[in-house]
Amino acid sequence: MKNPFEHAPADAAGGNPFAADAPVPQRERISFSGRGTEYFGIWIVNLVLTLLTLGIYSAWAKVRRLQYFYRHTTLGGAAFDYHGDPRAILKGRIIGFMLLLAYNVSFQFSIIAGIAVAVALAAVMPVLLMRSLRFRAHYSSWRGLRFGFDGSTGGAYSVFLKWPVFSVLTLYLLGPMWHQRMKAYQFNHARFGSARFAIDAPVGAYYRIYGAAIAVVLVGMAAIGALLGTLADGNPAVFALAPLLFILLLLFVQPYLSARLQNLVWNHMQLDGHRFESTVSARRLYVIMLTNLIGVVCTLGLFLPFAAIRLARYRLQSVTMLCAGPLDDFIAGQAQDAAATGEEAADLFDVDIAL
Amino acid sequence: MSTSPSDPVTEVAALYFDGRSARAHTVTLGVTDGVLHVAGGEIARREPLAALRVSEPMGDAARLISFADGAHLEVRDHAALARLLAATGHRDAAVVRWAFEPRMVVIMLSALLLSVWLMMQYGLPWAARVSAPRVPDGAMTALSERTLEWLDQALTRPTTLPPARQQALREALSSVASVDGQPIAHTLLFRSGGQLGANAFALPDGTLIVTDELVALAGADAPVLAVLTHELGHVQQRHGVRMLLQGSATALLMTWYLGDISSLLATAPTALVQAGYSRDMEREADDFAVKLLRARGQSPELLAGMLEKLAAAHGEGQASRSGPMGWLSSHPDTAERIARLRSEDFIIH
Repeated sequence: MKNPFEHAPADAAGGNPFAADAPVPQRERISFSGRGTEYFGIWIVNLVLTLLTLGIYSAWAKVRRLQYFYRHTTLGGAAFDYHGDPRAILKGRIIGFMLLLAYNVSFQFSIIAGIAVAVALAAVMPVLLMRSLRFRAHYSSWRGLRFGFDGSTGGAYSVFLKWPVFSVLTLYLLGPMWHQRMKAYQFNHARFGSARFAIDAPVGAYYRIYGAAIAVVLVGMAAIGALLGTLADGNPAVFALAPLLFILLLLFVQPYLSARLQNLVWNHMQLDGHRFESTVSARRLYVIMLTNLIGVVCTLGLFLPFAAIRLARYRLQSVTMLCAGPLDDFIAGQAQDAAATGEEAADLFDVDIAL
Repeated sequence: MSTSPSDPVTEVAALYFDGRSARAHTVTLGVTDGVLHVAGGEIARREPLAALRVSEPMGDAARLISFADGAHLEVRDHAALARLLAATGHRDAAVVRWAFEPRMVVIMLSALLLSVWLMMQYGLPWAARVSAPRVPDGAMTALSERTLEWLDQALTRPTTLPPARQQALREALSSVASVDGQPIAHTLLFRSGGQLGANAFALPDGTLIVTDELVALAGADAPVLAVLTHELGHVQQRHGVRMLLQGSATALLMTWYLGDISSLLATAPTALVQAGYSRDMEREADDFAVKLLRARGQSPELLAGMLEKLAAAHGEGQASRSGPMGWLSSHPDTAERIARLRSEDFIIH
């Protein structure tokens, strides 16, 4: 990654970014100050209230959870913030729940009803996903400026319907290309204030990452087969271990995929000339995820909040912003000044589907 | 950054953002007579407290004071801000304070464990019992037809029982199948059990399936009928639908709780909870069978003896099979049920 400030004065890095005559900052690392013990309290209160209200409180719980993570994330001396309205989220969750229920129940009645509901879902899902991207961006801010997302409906149908169908039809040979298109849709239409994000990760890089992962899975499966074949020796009961070993194999591949993909996406991201650098190590992520899993299983889930904090800390602190100019220079986008945007956004659905 | 604790005049250092640019202004803020004043560099603002919003405290994270026009202050000097807020009489919401009080966290943890236990023990079974009769017949029929289809394809084969014997058993069951004068709708089907062996089960719409192997094992009609009355109990009390409702609800809860980690992790506890429910339902169906048997002047021993035979038959089968069917069996503690059927409880009433 080429640093545009290679020749900047050496003392620039240590300067106070808020002093009026602050030198141009060059590298701003994201820092995360959340703590497991602290988040445990938020998590347990959220969990109990959600259970007692039969799930209704989950919308408020989500806002508090996101606020905890956002406000503990600092870049250039200022924290991120989340402003989502729990009532809008509750509405989105009710809609999501209904859709899920309709999908599950319809197949019990008849195949035709089931297919009809599935088709209807396929038709609405892209719009819901697009709106959830908009919701999440619109209600996130840093230094008082909101993020934004203005991807089109057509684009949503392309990446959330056309490409998934393509990749299934080609037995996922087009899967990495789908992922690339999805990230392009997600970030090329994202804004911070009036500054636009842009991503130029080449499709070949996605193929390399997925190719390596699939190679590991294939080699691992062959090894499992060989191992079980030797162990079994006429006793077929040993093959009951196969699913367990396969899960272990997938647990091994998942951190690799998420580390490489995070690095790929952020190392090819631009925000008005500013660039980013992400240095997640697959091996360290693997250690974190494995110990998290062990902790969660051994504590019947009570380790979950600690696990979430550990993972967020490592992934966030691996990202550095390579600034092309003073961070003070960002200005609000036009939409931000219009009060109407807030009202319109208030009835957007927030369907929380991780991308 | 921080003012000394003894300083009576509370001045708090903060960053001011106007909401139109990302520029950070270093300011100090204070409160006099219900008005917040912000000063520093080019910034000088006065705003009544009523028009401001303070974010919830979140440990070391900056607290934000937001203005109606989109501007905000970021405060990291928590001690000074706490004094300022205390002086204005501000109090955080109870829910927020709880999260940071160790005592409340312990209470919440206990409440969580207690409510999960109550919900699993009483809440879900109750909800399933109440809503099961409301499930439309069409849904139950469709569900049963699909299950039967699957059974016939994957496990069972056509019966080899002589039609006359089938007819005799059907008629005998019809004469038993009524409770409080109301007949229980049912259909009796015969199948060759294949790997299921000697077995009988009920589908939610009242279809009872008994395998040739079970009829052979029983020898006479009376023990077969005793088993079928137990299966009628499952139908009468809508166990199939209740199980499905409880299972879906448990799976939903588990997925929500553990979903972030792995959906595979969520299925294991669900299976465990299901096994517990299934045991209760077996007892309910046993009680129902005993009631019907008694109404005809027969002894619960018929069912107990049949269970013993079935357990013995399956015990032999499992030793050689040793597959997962063994420990996922839906009739987990047959010995306990046999003992219960033979116990004083049933002889008295």
